[in-house]
Amino acid sequence: MNLERVPNEEKLGLCRKYYLGGFAFLPFLWLVNVVWFFREAFVKPAYTEQLQIKTYVKRSALGLLLWVAVLTTWITIYQHYRAQWGEVGDYISFTIPLGIP
Amino acid sequence: MLFVPVTLCMLLVVATIKSLHFYTDKTDQQLIYTPFTENTSSVGRRLLNSVLNAVVMIGVIVAMTVLLVFLYKYRCYKVIHGWLILSSLLLLFWFSFMYLSEVLKTYNVAMDYPTAGVLIWNFGAVGMACVHWKGPLALQQAYLIVVSALMALVFVKYLPEWSAWLILALVSVYDLVAVLSPKGPLRMLVETAQERNEPIFPALIYSSAMAWTTGPADGEPGRASDEEAEPSGRAAAAEDDDDEQEERGVKLGLGDFIFYSVLVGKAAAGGGDWNTTAACFVAILIGLCVTLLLLAIFKKALPALPISITFGLICYFATDSLARPFMDDLAAHHFYI
Repeated sequence: MNLERVPNEEKLGLCRKYYLGGFAFLPFLWLVNVVWFFREAFVKPAYTEQLQIKTYVKRSALGLLLWVAVLTTWITIYQHYRAQWGEVGDYISFTIPLGIP
Repeated sequence: MLFVPVTLCMLLVVATIKSLHFYTDKTDQQLIYTPFTENTSSVGRRLLNSVLNAVVMIGVIVAMTVLLVFLYKYRCYKVIHGWLILSSLLLLFWFSFMYLSEVLKTYNVAMDYPTAGVLIWNFGAVGMACVHWKGPLALQQAYLIVVSALMALVFVKYLPEWSAWLILALVSVYDLVAVLSPKGPLRMLVETAQERNEPIFPALIYSSAMAWTTGPADGEPGRASDEEAEPSGRAAAAEDDDDEQEERGVKLGLGDFIFYSVLVGKAAAGGGDWNTTAACFVAILIGLCVTLLLLAIFKKALPALPISITFGLICYFATDSLARPFMDDLAAHHFYI
């Protein structure tokens, strides 16, 4: 949908729903929120709801960074130590590469 | 403007087929829509079976289109909604999960259940939000392309060779009939939607721009993606509303994306030759060009499948049986033209 034609309260509502939705383990939703509402929050000239949209965008960005950090750490640990974990490693693996690690 | 999404969809399908062997592995498993096997002893038997398969498949497609129109006419919006949501759930979660696992297996990468779970959950949930509810237009378009590609890949994998070509031919004939003849289901769908001044299921359809109407619509126009490959093969231009400024965008049904990609996919899977694939690709785009031209001339809903598929089929068989041996021979004898 095109944000140009949407009234401001609806924009705020949308931003808020995307922000709240992201708490359900959905960092992607936060990413979409940040990218989509960035111009609205920071580039456009000020309007009443803009301050709240700004807070939501900032918090989404924060949440996103947190998730990225956590995921990167976990993936690094997993890829590095998977072979050494033996059975537990295989149990949590969904694909197991062939060949010698 | 429709060239980019169609190209992307086809590229996605061809790239997948060329790199993941899963989608071209011979399997005896077939969809229930094509109950007759092609692993028969004689050629005649095989031909008969493929014809029967095609008939069954087209029968299923006809039945579903008629059912859809029926439901729409009698305003059973909830049922349509539910059906479309179920289909998109299947596509966005299950098929993408399969795709992810095949990609990982091909590139021999390990992945654990938690990470995979998070990835698929995010992909699926955001997809549902964008396609069924509200989301940025570009993302919605991207999801529709991906979903069409996934569906096309399933067809390429599970439709046996000859049945696939026959099905493509028959479905374009059906599309022609369904959209142009006065009692055709798809034409009735378009007309009913226009009468009620509702957008035509904005998400069984890919639109290149957002239509903005404030017409009172009973129930929500269903926004979901097509799963059973209904050939809502029509291209229609968005109408102009007098009161509101409306973006004029060209729309193309998701069934069209799927069948174009199936054609190119089968071409890529069959010979393994890039000449054939490229030829089919170009043929489909030319067909799309011609269709859009006709759309500009006639200004009403037109079937988008027949012209492209016809060109595509002609190109495929011509290239495969004529151009390819010719090129191979030239190359073998180091004869350059």
